[in-house]
Amino acid sequence: MKELTCDIFIAGAGAAGMSAALSACAAGADVLLAEQDAQPGGILNRCIHHGFGLGYFGEDLTGREYAARFRARLAGSAVRLRTGTTVLSISEDRTALLSSADGLTLVRFRACILAAGSIERNLSSVPVAGTRPAGVLTAGCLQGMLNCGGHADIGERIVILGSGNVGQIMARQLAQSGKTILAMIEQNDHPGGLARNHRECIEAYHIPLRLHSTVTEIHGTERISAVTVKDLRSGETELMECDTMITALGLLPDRSLVSHLRKDGSFPDWLRLCGNCDLIYDIVDSLTVRAEQTGAEAWESA
Amino acid sequence: MSGSRAAGLSGRHTDVIIIGAGVLGCFLARSLRRYDLSVRVLEMADDVCTGISRGGSGIIYAGYDMKPGTRKARMTTEACIAFPELCRTLSVRYRNTGSLVVSFGENADRSLTDKLERGKKNGVPGLRLLSRRETLAMEPLLSPAVSGALYAPGTCTVDPWELGIAAYENALANGAEFVFKRNAEHVQRTSEGFTVTASGQEYGCRILVNCAGTAAGNVHELVSDPSVRIQTAAADYIVLEDDAGPAVSHVIFHETEDGSKGLTLIPTAHGNMMIGQTEREMNGPGNPTDSGGIARLQELCREVVPGLPADQILRTFAVSRPNPYTVMRSGDTWVPAGKSHFDFSILEEDGFFSLIGIKTPGLTCSNALAEDLTGRILAALGEVAENPDFDPVRKPPVTVHVLSAEERNALIRKDPAYGRIVCMCRDISEGEIRDAVRRGARSLSGIKYRTGAMMGNCQGSRCMQRIMDLLL
Repeated sequence: MKELTCDIFIAGAGAAGMSAALSACAAGADVLLAEQDAQPGGILNRCIHHGFGLGYFGEDLTGREYAARFRARLAGSAVRLRTGTTVLSISEDRTALLSSADGLTLVRFRACILAAGSIERNLSSVPVAGTRPAGVLTAGCLQGMLNCGGHADIGERIVILGSGNVGQIMARQLAQSGKTILAMIEQNDHPGGLARNHRECIEAYHIPLRLHSTVTEIHGTERISAVTVKDLRSGETELMECDTMITALGLLPDRSLVSHLRKDGSFPDWLRLCGNCDLIYDIVDSLTVRAEQTGAEAWESA
Repeated sequence: MSGSRAAGLSGRHTDVIIIGAGVLGCFLARSLRRYDLSVRVLEMADDVCTGISRGGSGIIYAGYDMKPGTRKARMTTEACIAFPELCRTLSVRYRNTGSLVVSFGENADRSLTDKLERGKKNGVPGLRLLSRRETLAMEPLLSPAVSGALYAPGTCTVDPWELGIAAYENALANGAEFVFKRNAEHVQRTSEGFTVTASGQEYGCRILVNCAGTAAGNVHELVSDPSVRIQTAAADYIVLEDDAGPAVSHVIFHETEDGSKGLTLIPTAHGNMMIGQTEREMNGPGNPTDSGGIARLQELCREVVPGLPADQILRTFAVSRPNPYTVMRSGDTWVPAGKSHFDFSILEEDGFFSLIGIKTPGLTCSNALAEDLTGRILAALGEVAENPDFDPVRKPPVTVHVLSAEERNALIRKDPAYGRIVCMCRDISEGEIRDAVRRGARSLSGIKYRTGAMMGNCQGSRCMQRIMDLLL
């Protein structure tokens, strides 16, 4: 098995991992950056919409353009980037095990930054009864399929459960492509996500927003055929016929690689969390600024 | 003629046709191929084990629950003892958890003593009653109100679809033929046996076996008068997240004071916890879960195992339970003839064999039932030679995450696809996804049940797109 050493090992080359890597490298650290996908960028790569970079670059970029700027910086830096590489484990003895088409690699490091991003909260987090048919997927999964894959099996009549940012962005993209959004269903008395997204995605495209409501049951055997929507104040229910349900229930930090390292509520000194695996950010620009700080701090204390 | 009949399946005629490729149908096909018999399995769905076989608890029962002297009692006890060896032969992952039937009061205590007596009569090894202290020492998460338990060391858990898929692959490797998307619509007796019309195609055979699961009652009536019918009940399950925290290490059956259906806690073969089972009436097609059922399970958890994080739900689902009952003629119709019967029902009529309502412990007994049926089929056919080429061992599919780092590295050197990880939650490589397609997966769910991909905490939201890329 191959072995590598570095000062700082970073797991994940999304917005956070790239920024942390660049700043640690600029400060003089020997940085190894591992990325599961074929190219760095993380979830930015599936964001074909605008609204990125206003704070950081003073320009309105798409997510892809924002990622491309950091990829260009990486290419011009001394950061050792490994794409197509999955981090299998991070251990107490300051090693990480990587898997790629070249085989396994053991990395020995002085400090580690986890930049593993988030996973989407899925339907299991809400008590929805009924069947488990095809045609139910998360907003992020849909976004990846439409913008990176190209074979999403999307119907025509769509219900969106939850009103997180990704859900609002996808509501707009679906409306733009001629799909009917029957309702965006939110249990709170206000929509989730950014005010900007609400204005530009929901209001601008007349997406019917149902507040104080939830989906209590899914119907359909092979494919989803309807959902039961319940008004949480009146208790009234309505059967809404649809052929797709998108869930937009928010994001959860993904710390599964390091959860075993947590002792008495804190992580070891040599490990830092950065980006969405630390805290869910609404805006990538502020995530980038914080990740740059984390990169520099990791090197100072390594 | 050493397996030649199977090798040269000519035309549409085989010695045996099995309707239904659930766990039972797959094991029967495998078992019959020990002999020089051509075997064809007709399956309605596009894959094996898509019905009841997929949705059970995965418990391999020790055999103390069954009435002594019944076929069910004998088979269950023997099958549980033989189970680890069967899993080794077929390379199926299982967990010998042992089980505790836990009691919280006098009525349940008595029921534990009854089960102990029954178990002894059935020959179940290692059974013993545990004191409150011993019970809590073995399972500290249980409520301190527990009064004792019946311990059965032999109980195992298995992912039921893995067992069925392994039997399918071994049956296939030994020359059985499986035809998918064939819904049996019509059966005619012929001078040679039967002609089955399935999805418009005709298939002839000498022996016909009905292993059609929830549809077995209907399939039976294509051939014969009604005898046993199925009433489908449902049960809800909760699966907890992969890293949900404290878990129990034994299968736990909660024996209630009032005799109602208690809680079952199942440490699954692949590692996470499953909570079942509130048997209730079926509430519609497609096995819908019932929010009341799920809430009831969580409520029972708080009472029985307050330390279990029952709110960290990965998924909830419901399964159907085929409850058989015998029917009798009343004028022009058929009516239930008393209560739902207890023993495994194997009906035999002139070359036609019918298994209707093989519910719990059908998974435990799947191989034993297949062997029993094979004996009956051989008796019906007269002299049949053994198949000298039969190999009971299934070559295990590659599973990278169980390998040592050195083995894994060597494997990737030979085939880089095993180095590219697709499912991050469960550490499953592109090579394993590709292998699953080669092994017969035709859909996302075929991949899911063969590899475990998309079953982790993200439920496929991160890898589904890449898996679709690999399927197309």
